[in-house]
Amino acid sequence: MAEIDRPIRNNFEGLRGWLKPSGYGWERVSYWFQRLTGVFLLIYFIGHIYETSTIVNGLNAWESFLELTQTVWGHLFLIAVIGASTFHSANGIRLIFTHVGIGLGTPGRPDYPYNPSSLNYRQKSGIWIALILSAAAMYYGFNVLFGE
Amino acid sequence: METQRLLKESQIMKIHYITGIAAIFVVAVHILMRLVVPFESSLNYDYIIANYKNIFYVLILESILVLISIHGFNGMRVILLELRQNTAWEKVITVITISSMIALIAYGTRTIILANGM
Repeated sequence: MAEIDRPIRNNFEGLRGWLKPSGYGWERVSYWFQRLTGVFLLIYFIGHIYETSTIVNGLNAWESFLELTQTVWGHLFLIAVIGASTFHSANGIRLIFTHVGIGLGTPGRPDYPYNPSSLNYRQKSGIWIALILSAAAMYYGFNVLFGE
Repeated sequence: METQRLLKESQIMKIHYITGIAAIFVVAVHILMRLVVPFESSLNYDYIIANYKNIFYVLILESILVLISIHGFNGMRVILLELRQNTAWEKVITVITISSMIALIAYGTRTIILANGM
């Protein structure tokens, strides 16, 4: 079968386009947060695997590494991890539902102002629930880490 | 010409979702293990070593390692494929992400095995 010649896309925005959270509504903010938290959590996970590996070098190695992480800034970083992981999980569940068609609404006649039925209040409330759960988890984490 | 693929993109996304959901449960158990004692005590050297000797907890840790590595590096692959679409780029990104995933799982498993034997 002959290959179809595809024209070169001149509107390719690359990394700058990916990093732009605005201009497309709440769903775009959610898309942006999902990817940003995902990359952040992967970097944290790699760091965490390295951090915990110091335990095999004995008590002194473990405690000297803890001195680096068990600080005010270390705790604030952990609170950011708690918020990012809660948002990523809750919003990820919303995205799975959306992918299988739950919460998209029924198709309707395209009337002015042509609001897509799929971008409805269910989707928006899902994003808000993810943000509220994230804030609640960060508050709980703050109390555990700074409350003693 | 169509490139031969081991898995379809729809199957990879199913794996992505399944590993994500499963990771929520095992990470919840991991966090609960930190919260059953005061946070500072949960980082105590002897407590951590005792955790690594508990076979149930070792299985949880290994599950977290495998599930999040698959989910995380596949997520990274998806993000990088959104930036550019051509066969060479896709192959390079796939090889880099799978290699990184295997390396991270191997390194984490090494820690679990060594700590279990201490």
